[in-house]
Amino acid sequence: MVFPSAFEVAESLREGIFEGNLIVQILYSLELIGKGLLISVFLAMCVGYVCLKASGFKKIFETIVALLHPLPGVALLPLVILWVGTGKTAITIIIVHGAFWPLMQNVLSGMASIPDIYFKVGDNYGFSTSEKIIRILIPASAPFLIAGLKIAWARAWRALISAEMIFGAAGLAGGIGWAIYRSRVFMDVAGIVSGLAVIIIIGIAVEKFVFGFIENRTVKKWGMTE
Amino acid sequence: MVKEIIVAFVVLILLAGCSQERKGFSVAEQYGLAYAPVTIMKEKGFLKDSLPGVEIEWKQMANTTSIRESMVAGDLDIGFMALPPFFIGADKGMEWKILSGLSEVPLALVSLDEDIQSLSDFDESDRIALPQPGSIQHMLLSMAAERELGDARYFDDRIVSMTHPDGMHALLANIDIAGHFTSPPYIFMELENPKAHVVLTGKEAMEERFTFVVGVSTDKFSMTNPLWEDAFKDALAEAVSFIEKNPYEASQILSKSYGLDEEKIYEYITREDMLYTLEINGMKKIHDFMKGEGYIDDLGEIDKLVRGEG
Repeated sequence: MVFPSAFEVAESLREGIFEGNLIVQILYSLELIGKGLLISVFLAMCVGYVCLKASGFKKIFETIVALLHPLPGVALLPLVILWVGTGKTAITIIIVHGAFWPLMQNVLSGMASIPDIYFKVGDNYGFSTSEKIIRILIPASAPFLIAGLKIAWARAWRALISAEMIFGAAGLAGGIGWAIYRSRVFMDVAGIVSGLAVIIIIGIAVEKFVFGFIENRTVKKWGMTE
Repeated sequence: MVKEIIVAFVVLILLAGCSQERKGFSVAEQYGLAYAPVTIMKEKGFLKDSLPGVEIEWKQMANTTSIRESMVAGDLDIGFMALPPFFIGADKGMEWKILSGLSEVPLALVSLDEDIQSLSDFDESDRIALPQPGSIQHMLLSMAAERELGDARYFDDRIVSMTHPDGMHALLANIDIAGHFTSPPYIFMELENPKAHVVLTGKEAMEERFTFVVGVSTDKFSMTNPLWEDAFKDALAEAVSFIEKNPYEASQILSKSYGLDEEKIYEYITREDMLYTLEINGMKKIHDFMKGEGYIDDLGEIDKLVRGEG
């Protein structure tokens, strides 16, 4: 009962996919995570831009990151529920909170790691601020940005699963967190393991295909990492 | 060779350390007035009097699932919960039985929305908060949905799992939750809001009286410590009769434990529909419904799930 066999887990996966709504739940989870990550990346780029323009703001922002990054999303949940209810918005806020801070921290570290001379060369070429961002800042801090994205992706998952397991389905069928929670309350241990397996498989696929693709096209191609 | 022997000895000593003889047992309850006799029994020390020297660990857990998991892990001997989670555990092969009933209390689905007067008034986007899927509140909602809307799973995709206090706050804050299926004291507190009204009562859903909370013990505990188990049941009976005979003193004790006003608790526990009794009612109906809906397999003769019967 406590340790399901591999066969039971596989059977539970098959049932979930063909008879249940596991696929809908996976897509639902991915949609929320994708949205949360896009918002986080957009915010990080905006803040990064402002930090580049005004170094005073950068110092203040570094303090804000240090203060808010360690706050667990789960601890914010009761407040978020009171503010926006329990729907998709609440989960997205928790995901953005989980993903944005580590991403921002890496953006700031990445910016700090760029030798000043790069920007001076940019000045000599007469680059505008946006050109400096696209042609110097992003490529030079790419290893940091990619590492930040990877952490943000992992944090987004954690945020999603904990939010769903704590306040349940936010849409029609809910996401994978809700599926795991349901398995738990019905004592379906094989269902819990199959939910975890789905998250692991998605994690491997994204690591290999999405991040692998980005790395091959950027930092590896530029010889910045092995 | 010497090394292997030493390692074997260390392992043996460690293992022996794990299987220490127990000096007592552990009991878990949840939060709410339905568990009042357990609180009284603990605070009045009824069990201490009959089992001197036995260490009793009292735990208050947030939900039935944690209680059930602790019992599977062997960390807990006696737990209090509603019938559906007990049936799910028994169906999954847990070796446990019902020790006694504890309470019959009013359960209800409360809403603040004037337009929602019956189940059919909930629309697609309305969500209902209840403790968790597979809880008694979920089963009652499903029973009523089957009868009134023809589909027991009608609300399954629209339920939000929330603890009673969170659900109450979400309902009263009027954000996103159209209804809250809850139990005392939350139901009474919610109904103090002039807008709040009952959409469905537990009795209407079930169409007969039913036990809300039962005490469950593991077979292992029952077999190794039958005397402790008997003493526990006696102390529970003593607590139930204490509440009946001394509602004032009981309210004082409960008020300290629950942080609620003494007079309010007195008013609540002396209501006619708040019944503390070791009797068990409604088992068959809940079992048959859960079986019919595929939540559990047939558990056979229902009496056999109660300790000392069948």
